[in-house]
Amino acid sequence: MHFTEKSRKTIDACRFCWMCRHICPIGNATGMERNTARARALGLSMVARGVEEIGASIANVYECALCGACTKECLTAWDPILFTTEAKLEAAMAGEMPEYIVSMIENIERTGNAYGKTELCTRLSESIASLPTDAETVLFLGKNAMYRTCRQACAAIELLKKAGVSFTVLTDEPSSGWDLFFLAGGAEETRQTMKACAASLNSFKTVVAYDPNDARMFRRQFKEWGIGLNAEVKTFTEFTAELIASGKLTPKKSASVFTFQDPASLARDLEETVPAREILNACGTTLEMLMNGRDTNLAGNLLMAEYMPEAMTKVAVRRWEEAQRIGASILVTANPDDYAALETVKPEGCRLISIEEAVLECL
Amino acid sequence: MNKFLFSMILTELEDAVGIENCSTRAIDKLTHSVDYFWLSRLFVDRGEKMPEADFVVSPKDAKEVSKVLKIANYYKIPVTTWGGGGGTQGGAIPVCGGIVLDTKRMNQIFDVNTDSMYIECGAGSIYKHIENAANEKGYATMHYPSSLNCSTVGGFLAHRGIGVVSTKYGKIDDMVLQMEVVLPNGDIIETSPAPKHAAGPDLNQIFIGSEGTLGIITKAQMRIYNQPEERRFRGFLFQDMHNAFLAGKELLQKIKPSVMRLYDETETGSIIKKIVGVEKKGAFMNIAIEGIAEIVAIEEKILLETFAKYGAEDLGSEYGEKWWKEKITFFYPGHALDLPWMFGTMDSIAPFDKIEQIYWAMKNAVESNFPMARFIAHFSHWYEWGAMIYDRFIVEEPPQDPVEALRLHQQIWNCGVRAALENGGVVNDHHGVGIKLGRLMKEQYGPAMQVFEGLKKQLDPNNILNPFKLGL
Ligand SMILES: Cc1cc2nc3c(=O)[nH]c(=O)nc-3n(C[C@H](O)[C@H](O)[C@H](O)COP(=O)(O)OP(=O)(O)OC[C@H]3O[C@@H](n4cnc5c(N)ncnc54)[C@H](O)[C@@H]3O)c2cc1C
Ligand code: SF4
Ligand code: SF4
Repeated sequence: MHFTEKSRKTIDACRFCWMCRHICPIGNATGMERNTARARALGLSMVARGVEEIGASIANVYECALCGACTKECLTAWDPILFTTEAKLEAAMAGEMPEYIVSMIENIERTGNAYGKTELCTRLSESIASLPTDAETVLFLGKNAMYRTCRQACAAIELLKKAGVSFTVLTDEPSSGWDLFFLAGGAEETRQTMKACAASLNSFKTVVAYDPNDARMFRRQFKEWGIGLNAEVKTFTEFTAELIASGKLTPKKSASVFTFQDPASLARDLEETVPAREILNACGTTLEMLMNGRDTNLAGNLLMAEYMPEAMTKVAVRRWEEAQRIGASILVTANPDDYAALETVKPEGCRLISIEEAVLECL
Repeated sequence: MNKFLFSMILTELEDAVGIENCSTRAIDKLTHSVDYFWLSRLFVDRGEKMPEADFVVSPKDAKEVSKVLKIANYYKIPVTTWGGGGGTQGGAIPVCGGIVLDTKRMNQIFDVNTDSMYIECGAGSIYKHIENAANEKGYATMHYPSSLNCSTVGGFLAHRGIGVVSTKYGKIDDMVLQMEVVLPNGDIIETSPAPKHAAGPDLNQIFIGSEGTLGIITKAQMRIYNQPEERRFRGFLFQDMHNAFLAGKELLQKIKPSVMRLYDETETGSIIKKIVGVEKKGAFMNIAIEGIAEIVAIEEKILLETFAKYGAEDLGSEYGEKWWKEKITFFYPGHALDLPWMFGTMDSIAPFDKIEQIYWAMKNAVESNFPMARFIAHFSHWYEWGAMIYDRFIVEEPPQDPVEALRLHQQIWNCGVRAALENGGVVNDHHGVGIKLGRLMKEQYGPAMQVFEGLKKQLDPNNILNPFKLGL
């Protein structure tokens, strides 16, 4: 196995202190020792030393959500993203990729999305069709919202319409590369997908990324891989908060008490935690979970839910428990991953809404 | 074991805990073979594999644990309990193969009971998670070891762990009310409903510290406390350690600080200088007092008066506060001891009249017999009658060959711990015994060891639970 020197050093930087154990959403939910950052480092270090084959460790690499919680907690400059992307690519080259990953990649090749879907829901198709095609701003919905949380995608479109924003959604929206990046790491196909995406977005002045995973690709990976994206990228929450601040959206403050589920990629990778709270405080008041902001616990990952559904259900159940322990009654999400996961296990008496739905209710 | 029998046992274990919670996957066996024991880490660093289990099971409760133990007893297979794997003594390593029983699925928080001030939880709960549950209700567990984030309730109980505010709130063995334990034969028992009683010997204390050799703890009620209204720090510098001990002893007859830490000159000049910023020479001592604000003010006055009598230089609150903020940083890379160095923490404990003697005896023994080793220490947990030494040796260039390194490691440990024992100390204060120090238990206890051996023989006649640990 040929890890780059940087990756090898990162793997060996893990000193087994487990200071990050308590924060791993997957490990906490499954209770499995292998679902820890140090277990992954140990497995891959044995691969790097030629003691184990990559096949012994690769499934465990796919059990990491790349949520970045351990990175935040660890002082070794540990970055699982670096070597997991290399490990995934190596596994692909060695023909050791798990079968379920291969079939999701085949889906992407065939249909453009990992779920193998060929049709959008009618409401979303109609909603997109109602938009102008010549706007300077594009709302980038992402594959997860388009195929997994279509109601929320429609709500996002409706909200921007209500604010009078002149925008469009591409009918043949490309992938940002997030799904391939997650599944195949730094493969050439990922790069090509990102390049194609940049080409189709570069005619716009502003890209509003609905899904923080896509925003993370645009702002971080594109830059790291030298893929030029000229358009200004805004997250959906950032853009919405600006619409409220500039008076284009005027929600009425209600008696609702919201608890915000910070998306991991938004809070940690993009370091954005304030706009969502500004939005919710304009609509009501907020009550924080103990693990919030940059300390957030991920509640779901749609790609992982395809191949490890039971474990991902436990992740979502645990997050609901945390919300319930502080007496939260309305949980608000800002990404399809968390919304879809939390919705499937919503406890009785609790409410789950997306942030655009929260604003729409207060207009 | 032949393939047929292996498969038969596997299906029985799967039946007991569910297929998804019973693994023979290489990654599960590998990750349960290396804990925080320096030797296990050294072996993998050198590309050698540590002994692995044949099966890794993760039961969800005492009933499933019981089923696993019945299977293990029937086939006479060893069972090693694994909590967080944060132990430093190799206690959780399945040295004889067999079954590793991981407790982390037993992580439910059943009750945050503010009427009686305890949390009832599964023994596989990460301590940080029960601290979070206490914090959510405005309380605290007051068990703050550096491994708060990684080790489990059961693991701390099994090794008699300790946290930084122990002088006021106690060690883990002072913090438990009742426990549920599964005996090696599969019987599920509960200890006394109250921890203080006259209903015979204390069952809690038989299983606490038994390191998974006498039973598996599956549930525990752990105490919670009010958050202090105020926590004040004060740093001091002593010119000699003797006066620091006298001052500490006198203070403890009057009040109970939460944190009490005395660093020898070497640690003051190295790690304390680096992390806390104390530049002056001497022995740094950090004291925290906490509780109701009015009482804290009075206690602070008593502290200053008492320490002034022994010539302590008052460094104010800044260093102490910095120390508190950075208390886990001591264990982070760059500060904590780590590979490629060889190191070990030989914590011991003794009454005040012996503690200094033990410190010097250990330091001299290690430094004179092993010139390549450095010896540093601090005294971090104090009682009215004595204190513990957290002393460490460091060898910066250990042998490359893992067996050679193992030999040197064991020789240094024998030398240091024997010096402690000869001068009235104990094998260990709060990291436990494991496989690392088992042989020295008999040297400490002599004929008293038969009490532990008798318990082991009666409770675990097939010797399935954690063989070769604790000297049993
Ligand atoms: C960075 C770091 C800092 C540390 N700092 C401290 C500190 O400040 N204070 C301190 O006290 N310790 C400290 N330790 C050591 C460690 O946290 C303790 O020894 C702790 O008690 C181990 O718990 P664990 O859950 O990790 O147990 P493991 O390592 O998994 O197991 C330890 C032993 O307990 C047994 N065991 C585990 N669970 C059970 C159970 N439910 N029933 C019966 N037996 C069981 C195992 O078989 C084994 O013998 C530190 C460790 C690390 C990694
Ligand atoms: S990733 Fe960092 S915090 Fe986690 S175990 Fe490794 S060194 Fe410790
Ligand atoms: S990135 Fe997230 S899921 Fe992966 S090991 Fe770290 S904390 Fe766990």
